Amino acid sequence: MEVLEKLRILSDAAKYDVSCSSSGSNRKNKNGGLGAAENSGICHSWSDDGRCISLLKILMTNYCIYDCAYCVNRFSNDLPRATFTPDEIVDLTINFYKRNYIEGLFLSSAVFKSPNHTMEMIFQVVKKLREEEKFNGYIHTKAIPGADKEIVEKVGKYVDRMSVNIELPTEEGLKLLAPKKNKESILKPMKLIKAGITQSIEETKKFRFSPKFVPAGQTTQLIVGATADSDLKVLRLSEGLYNSYGLKRVYYSAFIPVSTNPKLPAIKSPPLVRENRLYQADWLLRFYGFQSGELLDENKPDFDLALDPKCDWALRNINLFPVEINRADYNMLLRVPGIGVKSAMRIIQARRFSAIDFYDLKKLGIVLKRAQYFITCKGKHYGVKSMDGEIIRNYLTEKPIKFSNYQQLSLFDQVSIEDKYIEIGGQF
Amino acid sequence: MIHYIYDGSFDGLLTAVYEAYYRKDNVYDIVPEDNIEENFLVQNIFIPTDGEKSSTVYKSIENKISREALRRIFYVYLSELPRHGIIILKYIQLGFKLGAQLDLNLSNDIVLMMNNIYAKVSRERHGMLGLLRFKELENGIFYGAIEPDYNIIGLIAPHFESRMTNENWIIHDVKRGVGVFYNKEEWVIRNIKPTDSLVMKEEEEEYQELWKEYFKSIAIENKINPKLQKRNMPMRYWKYLVEKH
Repeated sequence: MEVLEKLRILSDAAKYDVSCSSSGSNRKNKNGGLGAAENSGICHSWSDDGRCISLLKILMTNYCIYDCAYCVNRFSNDLPRATFTPDEIVDLTINFYKRNYIEGLFLSSAVFKSPNHTMEMIFQVVKKLREEEKFNGYIHTKAIPGADKEIVEKVGKYVDRMSVNIELPTEEGLKLLAPKKNKESILKPMKLIKAGITQSIEETKKFRFSPKFVPAGQTTQLIVGATADSDLKVLRLSEGLYNSYGLKRVYYSAFIPVSTNPKLPAIKSPPLVRENRLYQADWLLRFYGFQSGELLDENKPDFDLALDPKCDWALRNINLFPVEINRADYNMLLRVPGIGVKSAMRIIQARRFSAIDFYDLKKLGIVLKRAQYFITCKGKHYGVKSMDGEIIRNYLTEKPIKFSNYQQLSLFDQVSIEDKYIEIGGQF
Repeated sequence: MIHYIYDGSFDGLLTAVYEAYYRKDNVYDIVPEDNIEENFLVQNIFIPTDGEKSSTVYKSIENKISREALRRIFYVYLSELPRHGIIILKYIQLGFKLGAQLDLNLSNDIVLMMNNIYAKVSRERHGMLGLLRFKELENGIFYGAIEPDYNIIGLIAPHFESRMTNENWIIHDVKRGVGVFYNKEEWVIRNIKPTDSLVMKEEEEEYQELWKEYFKSIAIENKINPKLQKRNMPMRYWKYLVEKH
């Protein structure tokens, strides 16, 4: 089979893995080799679905011994199959890299023969890249659930990032859709990677040049909407993974119907808004100091699809608002809807020189569409008169008015939000 | 209205800043010589570049303000945007009053303008690290053409020097007619005359085809989103992208 044909089959099979980040590693180029990693990561292109392409993301093979209902590569699925040789992958990676198409390689695989055998195949590729080709670009590989300690450690010494995909957030889900996988087989490699990273950090403290182990950390992926699990369950799992497994990222992937198995929910289109809400909440956990329990609880186990999780939280805790922009501390600023990490830092910086008013906020580039309802500047409030959660919710969820070509002009329709606060606040 | 005219080099701009200080003119703008505007109200004064004067300014920015400020000034100079000269002059004047605290003063209009232009140039620099495409020529040289909004080839060269250490490569800014040349040891910036005959290596097309195939098959059909794609990768950069042809 031609390499082009293999590439088509094995990148098509890899595309449902959402992770594509090339960040977190600052591997240097050494001994006149090729490539280096950039800590911030670099996107090289954006595919037609708008996702960043930074790595050559392929499967080693899509011949699989498992039959997981949610997966395109399940053995009962009738589709073209292929296997790359290590040389083919190495050649593609090196030549794509030299043309600056990619930051490196993301090598995953279906489970061929056994988890250990598959890992061994992956090992051949990464070893060749690092040792023979002196390749210092970014490498991300999968750790296959069920693989043994020795082989996970061998691979970990060569790669920047490793990931084990949990896919289904509960054990019942696994039993139903992926009967050959279980919780232990997934968590085992994750624990191994974590132990390896911890050990490597300890060693680096003692010996500066000891080899690094998975320097960009590990990640995982959860499928959203393939089982009936609530957002609360998903988010609690993520929180646990961040806190006790030290994961760098948890990715969420809206379930895309790839088969008509009766065990799977019948949906027409992937739940993209839900996926987006989970990402927003994930950010709140990692960078905004939120706990999962503040965002969701047993009485409200799913996110509001019409409103982002932070707005929703603020409206349920409206008694904390409005906050004075010139006095609120950093943590509180972060909790204001519409104010992100960058904006909060800018506010803190700017107000050391002089008190900030509403106009200054605009100049600083802070988006006030949402924030206006929750803040005061020098004591002035520019949102709505009463701090009533329900009223503000209406403003925030109202759809923008669409202008059609033929419309009767009216004095009272089409008042923009901007005009509203001029009306209410009396000034701009 | 007094316009200072400089030769377009960074040293020239800093010399103009020096003169503005010591001549105490009320300078309205500092303009590179190929951008002179003939205007009845404008009095153009040509400032000859002087290495000593410019290095005096260079050092005092570094010592009295910060290295970070110096970097911002260089980036804003590379933006080549209208009125960048006068913004830089005012920024330096303010900086000598405020010292290292200068960039924290975000509610000041000049600092803010500098900050915004700096952000634009840095963003394009970072974007170009990914969007540049090399082709392998017959003689083994990797050649990449770009048409960036700002004059950034000098900013991206060190990045490629550190990862393509063992290759010969050229980055060609087609819009400005200049290029970075790297010979496995060091890189230099030289003018490039327009040329139309670049002979590609035989296998070059093969890898381009492979890349295009990959680009097509990695997209998920149920999630096609051209708007998002264009927002992340503006169409003005598509001209030299292999996968977009």
